[in-house]
Amino acid sequence: MSAYVLQQLINGLVLGSMYALVAVGFSMIYSIVRLINFAHGDVAMIGAFSTFLVFAAAGLPLWVIVPATLAVGAAVAAIIEFLVFRPQRQAPQVNGFITSLGVSILIQNVGILLLSAQPRSVRLPGLLRTNHDFFGARVTTLDILIVAATLISLLVLTLFVKRTRLGIAMRATSENVSAAQLMGIPVNRVITAAFAVGGALAGLAGLMWGGRYGQIDPLMGFVPGLKAFVAAVIGGVGSLAGAALGGYLLGMAEIMIVGMLPSEYGSYRDAFVFGLLILVLLVMPNGLLGKPAEERA
Amino acid sequence: MKRRDLLTGVAAGALALSLGIGGASAQDDEPIRIAALYNLTGGMSSIDAPALAAAELRVKQINEAGGLLGREVELISYDTRTDQGETATAAQEAVSEDVVAGIGYGDTTFVMAAAPTFQENGIPFVTSGATHPMLPTWVGDYMFMTAFGDDDQSYAIADYASEELDLDRVMVWTDESMDFTKALSKFFKERFKENGGEIAEEVSFMMGDTDFSSQISRMESLDPPVEGVFISAIPSEAGLTVRQIREAGIDIPIVSGDGFDTPLVAETPGPELANDVYFSSHTYRGDDRPEVEQFIADYEEEYDRPPENSFTPLGYDAIGLIANAIETAGSADPADIRDALEQTRDYKAVTGPISYTRENMVPPKPISIIEVQGGEFNVLEIWRPEEGLEGELQE
Repeated sequence: MSAYVLQQLINGLVLGSMYALVAVGFSMIYSIVRLINFAHGDVAMIGAFSTFLVFAAAGLPLWVIVPATLAVGAAVAAIIEFLVFRPQRQAPQVNGFITSLGVSILIQNVGILLLSAQPRSVRLPGLLRTNHDFFGARVTTLDILIVAATLISLLVLTLFVKRTRLGIAMRATSENVSAAQLMGIPVNRVITAAFAVGGALAGLAGLMWGGRYGQIDPLMGFVPGLKAFVAAVIGGVGSLAGAALGGYLLGMAEIMIVGMLPSEYGSYRDAFVFGLLILVLLVMPNGLLGKPAEERA
Repeated sequence: MKRRDLLTGVAAGALALSLGIGGASAQDDEPIRIAALYNLTGGMSSIDAPALAAAELRVKQINEAGGLLGREVELISYDTRTDQGETATAAQEAVSEDVVAGIGYGDTTFVMAAAPTFQENGIPFVTSGATHPMLPTWVGDYMFMTAFGDDDQSYAIADYASEELDLDRVMVWTDESMDFTKALSKFFKERFKENGGEIAEEVSFMMGDTDFSSQISRMESLDPPVEGVFISAIPSEAGLTVRQIREAGIDIPIVSGDGFDTPLVAETPGPELANDVYFSSHTYRGDDRPEVEQFIADYEEEYDRPPENSFTPLGYDAIGLIANAIETAGSADPADIRDALEQTRDYKAVTGPISYTRENMVPPKPISIIEVQGGEFNVLEIWRPEEGLEGELQE
């Protein structure tokens, strides 16, 4: 394998990691409350702004910034759930979907009013820009941290869902809300937890996004949010492993389309990506790792 | 609209006015209304919002000095939210508001959504920042440009890249989502090849992209390596591309046009990485003509911040051009303003003198070559176009 291909694979892996983090939270919320949450990407934006405008600006070290950002993401998502989605839990699915679009636009516009739509330059503290040689390819310290942090987060999440009481309660709620409630599971608390975990991951993705690209603005969450939706659908909505896989595939596909095809096709990247989405859905209607659809009330 | 006898015009105006609000004695009481169409929110806001702020400043100054032809000037502004549909609607609304002229936009795509409506209604439209050299040809005789054309700014930076930076082999990155960036690349390639240079490879991206790692890896893999890279981008991607290229340890010169005229080019990479960036832009930054210094001082006093970029003085100049035309014509009739605009010669704008001497009606303006070193902007030289160049541009 040439160094060039390896380099592009690394590029895809790093981009895919960030998509995967957002997609997993997105999918988790969907699996439990059947809500397509378009405001999920905006939680990543809030995470990025709190990272850079509050924590990094206050001169905190990275090992404080990361947990603080996780906490902000979790809190924001849980508050949104409590204020907006909980009151209409019994409403049809489409209400939640439309509401999430509304919440997304609201967050973006409040962001523009408070912070202006001008992108601002940001920097993570520390020597994260250092380049390392990896079999002829180039990786920065931040790239390694992004990939590692994503893998650790996914691992912890899997253990959490499989092993802990709350995780088991989540899976039960995801199977059937009414039955879980009848079995004595505090459904509201479980749903709040799902939003909080998803929000924390989105916040972390926002931190990585801002740290890697160095520019943040109030609309920055929209595209990653949309990509997370695509990734979750490719992987099979509701499947956490599927969402992660979808995120990595999407990141890899975007990089490879620009990197490998003749340059005149590069501008059709998004067309290729969405074409891929349609193709996956035609061949495997439940996504790569999704379970066959079963109608639920 | 036919040219009217001035007296008849005034009489008709006074009549209409007295019918309308019953009592006002003369047309003199009615303000001269100018429409300003800009994207104050969305992706173009960093270019458009400062231009409107400067236009408002100019209107305020004109009114403080007694207005035009003894009448007050009123700017009616519209936020078109970086949306072409909104733009078309706002243009329709503006022409029905009895405006005598319109200004707006730092980008060709939006001008093309608005200006044809003004043309159809016989109202001059002066774009402050759009630079596509075909604009007056596409829209018609009511379309005027404040800025230079993309051909000139691309030729300027291509000449600088070939002659001063001594580049023979470059890669070209193009934002394929905008008319402006595509035109910029096209003219750069044309001139750079004429100068004997080679375009080794091209890649594209889209407005809103944040990850350029794939394009960078592609650039690194070229053999023999390129000596420089031309990036045709608007401000939101300008800083991102510079930062990511420098972070990858690539230190070849990065060249571009006025889309790079934004503080983000220095801020996003930071002072230690914002090096060896060269771009062509409107002659204003680092220029010591009295108009420039006066403008910067006035703007800072009004808004408590320095002018954001070159699109800011262009907004100021767009109003200036119209005001100048109204005074020269001695009339605020749209057709008279148009005729006077067309005759504009050597108008002392903040962004350099403006004359409509060329057949394609693109003003031949001097162009600054600006470098960024250690996060600082310096004007290196002023490039001058061939005066009155024949308009032989074909799309």
